Amino acid sequence: MLAEASVNLLQSYQSGLSSYDEVLDLNGRIKPYWKALFSTMEKLGIDELQNRNKEIVNKLRENGVTYNVYGTPDGLNRPWQLDPIPFLIEQKEWNGIAKGLQQRAVLLDLILKDLYGPRNLIKDGIIPAELVFDNAGFFRPCTDIKLSSDKQLTLFAADMARGPDGQMWLVDNRTQAPSGSGYTLENRIVMSKLLPELADGMYVSKLSPYFNSLQNTVLKLSDKSKEAPNIVYMTPGPNNEAYFEHAYLASYLGYTLAQGDDLLVRNGSVWLKSIEGLQKVDVIIRRIDDDWCDPLELREDSRLGVPGLLQAIRMGNVQVLNAPGSSVLENHAFHAFMGNICTYFLGEKLIMPSVATWWCGHVKELNYVLSHMDELIIKKANRKTKFRSIYGRLLSASEKDELKRMISQKPHEFIAQQEISLSTTPSLIDGNIVPRYAALRAFLVANGNEYHVMQGGLTRSSPVKDRFVISNQYGGLSKDTWIVSDKTGEVPEKIVYTAPASVNKHISLPSQSAENLFWIGRYCERTMAVIKFMNITINVLNLDRNFGGSAKQEHIKILLQSLTHLSATYPGFLEEEERMSDPYKEIIDLVSNTNRPGSIASSISSFLNAVSAVRNQWNMETWRIVDLIDNGFQEIRNAGHMNSNNIQKTLDGLFNNMFTFLGIIAESMPRDNSFLLLETGKLIERILSRISVIQSNFGVKNSSGVENELIEATLINHHLLVSYRQIYKSHLSVEAMLDMILLEKTLPFSLVYMLDELKSNLGRLPSTTRGERLNDAQKYVLQASTLIKLADIPALSKSNGKSDRSELFELLSEVSRLISSVSVNLTNMYFSHTIMHHSFFEPVDYNKDEI
Amino acid sequence: MKYKLIHKTEYRYAEPVSNYHSLLCLTPRTLPDQLCTEFRIEVTPEPSQIFERTDFYGNKTHYFSLHSPHKKLTVLTTGMVERQSEMTGSLFIPSVVTCREARNRMLNERSLKIAFLEYILPSPFVKWDQEIMDFAQECFLDDKPLYECVQHLCRKIYTEFKFVSDFTTIHTPIKDVLAARKGVCQDFSHLAIACIRSFGFAARYVSGYLETLPPPGKQKMQGSDASHAWISVYIPDYGWCDFDPTNNVVPGERHIVTAWGRDYNDVPPLKGIIFSYGKHTLSVEVDVIPL
Repeated sequence: MLAEASVNLLQSYQSGLSSYDEVLDLNGRIKPYWKALFSTMEKLGIDELQNRNKEIVNKLRENGVTYNVYGTPDGLNRPWQLDPIPFLIEQKEWNGIAKGLQQRAVLLDLILKDLYGPRNLIKDGIIPAELVFDNAGFFRPCTDIKLSSDKQLTLFAADMARGPDGQMWLVDNRTQAPSGSGYTLENRIVMSKLLPELADGMYVSKLSPYFNSLQNTVLKLSDKSKEAPNIVYMTPGPNNEAYFEHAYLASYLGYTLAQGDDLLVRNGSVWLKSIEGLQKVDVIIRRIDDDWCDPLELREDSRLGVPGLLQAIRMGNVQVLNAPGSSVLENHAFHAFMGNICTYFLGEKLIMPSVATWWCGHVKELNYVLSHMDELIIKKANRKTKFRSIYGRLLSASEKDELKRMISQKPHEFIAQQEISLSTTPSLIDGNIVPRYAALRAFLVANGNEYHVMQGGLTRSSPVKDRFVISNQYGGLSKDTWIVSDKTGEVPEKIVYTAPASVNKHISLPSQSAENLFWIGRYCERTMAVIKFMNITINVLNLDRNFGGSAKQEHIKILLQSLTHLSATYPGFLEEEERMSDPYKEIIDLVSNTNRPGSIASSISSFLNAVSAVRNQWNMETWRIVDLIDNGFQEIRNAGHMNSNNIQKTLDGLFNNMFTFLGIIAESMPRDNSFLLLETGKLIERILSRISVIQSNFGVKNSSGVENELIEATLINHHLLVSYRQIYKSHLSVEAMLDMILLEKTLPFSLVYMLDELKSNLGRLPSTTRGERLNDAQKYVLQASTLIKLADIPALSKSNGKSDRSELFELLSEVSRLISSVSVNLTNMYFSHTIMHHSFFEPVDYNKDEI
Repeated sequence: MKYKLIHKTEYRYAEPVSNYHSLLCLTPRTLPDQLCTEFRIEVTPEPSQIFERTDFYGNKTHYFSLHSPHKKLTVLTTGMVERQSEMTGSLFIPSVVTCREARNRMLNERSLKIAFLEYILPSPFVKWDQEIMDFAQECFLDDKPLYECVQHLCRKIYTEFKFVSDFTTIHTPIKDVLAARKGVCQDFSHLAIACIRSFGFAARYVSGYLETLPPPGKQKMQGSDASHAWISVYIPDYGWCDFDPTNNVVPGERHIVTAWGRDYNDVPPLKGIIFSYGKHTLSVEVDVIPL
């Protein structure tokens, strides 16, 4: 029954095939591994496969696996798309492919060295001079840029597709900052967690040897004399499409994630601006393109790079991989000459062919292209020319003439490629297993004299039928790629380490990340403080609406005004009486208006931005909560759905999630500088917000009826009403309350407790002062804490003739001023490196890291 | 001729600059007809090190960085340069290679193509279109010697364009210069190069200095007492020949060469990246003193 069903599933898939497919071999027989996979899927059942698919999608979203798409209005984080059906290649076949890839990498490395060296390829007539001098990837300042290793091309990614003859064809080279290996790894991790049984009866090769090999290579490149070399993974920043991958790989590999602004060249070396001061950098793995690396010698308008970087590389003080200049190899025209280059350098034939390519700079090829346009795709030889590939067969006669005219005018700028034909592969689309076109990206890393090929890769399949759309920017699907065999006992590849395996014991905290962490603490607490107090106020309002008279009572007015003070959303409830009569309108605006500084929506938005800017700091649990907070954020932005009845439910949910966020931080975050800065930001905000409420509630003495309401609200705001009642029962007095919220050392929301915590945190952060001396921030906190401890509570509770509690008000103002100074001081001490460099131009285009 | 060369550049910043990276391309080249016997760079405030490098074109560049806050930066270079009377340029036997022949050879002789292709192709600051070709059309006749044609072009630019200092910046497109018929030496050089390349010949940008003759009796030369720029054109069988479209002269003893490249972008005399929010002002003083 089962076997029959399996045959049926396979049969129904087979019957839908309209071109050659991965499942079938050249003789039309089903490949054994695919048979096994189909049988496993059958056992699982399509419905279950669908369910798992949903889990996978959720998991990826929870893990924050995204691919940012530029140009969308809200800077959309597009969730990564993963198809649960993997792409299978048999180990034996893969070994052949790997050989082809290794040969290709060796060749590209030789080309790279030749083009930035003697240029014999041109002198000996193997390639036309245009491939160097009309190549936008050839950077003249890079002619003396050399890595200390033999291989200059360290990382290489190749896009492949299967041709009708069953052979893999090389379609594209990625040589400057290859992307995708992080997504590949995450795909594998999620698949093995959520669909482990799919691999039943197969042995799937591991990906980790590739990453070990990479770490090994990086280690060999770094300063041998240093025990713990400083390795930086350089990203263009959170706005880049593949920022998830940058952060993911940095933490997986154990390198410091940094942006150009985090780095500085000084005395010919590269330094990381960390909160412990400047730290010398040994190796940089860059994810920014060549031309953006150094505004001094390359693109002048680049704010992503590091001025002076090229000089530092020349002097051998830092190793950057891939070496700037490697994009010279990404010119499409090289495909037309690879066969000759291979013979020239290696005296052998290409193992894996490139897709057939014609460079139009030669008359014969030009004529061929002009007369065979229907079979060809026309491209510019140089990438990034804003010229999109043109399918000859899709053109009208007049469009074709226009294109021919364009090509004939500057033939050397154009290439033509045989329209790539791809195999289809089983994909799960809307609950059905259907054939879709797919292409595969493979990853290689130099290791000594050889290239290590990842045993797997990133397969992208087209979401639409009979068309090939794989770019992630246009919504492609990805697949885990399995290199399969039935021998589980296969000897794992041995990685020979040249140094102890622990690579980067010391991961520095770049100043920019430090600043983000500090503000995460502040925004989180700021949001929570406003929500908390808003909830208290709404409760009082509801009580009044249901059980009180129609006239607004004095205490409600004071609470609403305190809310305005607390959120600094002036004039708010301070000016217009109208707002008082229908407070919900203002309250809802205060919740949902993203454009209003101080609103809950605006604080959460800043919080989420800061969180994603340091995403390498978070574990999975944290991401899950951040995702929930993000959902809550989307909810509250929708003001139309909010009213006096449901607003509290939404706010409660949000508050609880943020509390959970802090809880996970408290329970699981390593007690390092990252943690201390986040905590410090949180404490500063908590102190300031609590002081604000006390000041506005009790700065002026009111009748005891009003004050009793305010005391209760304030105690709830400090999470203290229960403790208070245990001691004082139902007797409410300002004096007893102040004694508790200012001085009670055991209560986490008392001022004295928070100030002492802050003091201790500051003491543990790296100090810029000598020995035991206090820095300014520490002095301010000590002063504030002492002022509170010396406070004379009965005197503070009293009012002067005009019923102002001026002594209380002034004391709290002073403490508030001191704590604000702490924040300014920390900024100067730890984050001031984050000053941007000045450029005389507006950025023209953004560095893209498209997969 | 022997010259003492003084080139002083001063930046003043409204806000203190705490980080500065700079690349200088100011050292006179040593050539068969030019000798640089002495060269010194003084930077105030003083950087901890100045790194020398020879670039892709054989020009000498110097890199330095500053890391303490400063509101004023001075780069002073001084040098002694000996210029011999021209060996290229004013030809005793004028080159007779015609435009047609020159173009064919540049296209078809591999060694020529490999050596000069980058000076024939468009470069960052030198691009052209039909309008620019139309402008130069009358100068480049297939049967005429290339050398004469370039002279014709330089004369045309000299007579039809006005030297106006503040009209253009280095980023003004050639087309705007062509439309306004005014500019400075960089603009005229870029325009001339665009014209020459558009007809398939190799031309490069030369950066340097020009000695100005004193006014009495003689007409003062434009572009005096400042950095100067002119062009060099490759004439097959003869070599690189310099032309000065700004002054319509064949560069000779009074032109001192510091660097060449495809265009200005390859050889800016001084460029820098600063870390600051504020504005800055710049003053440049150049003296070319005959000894």
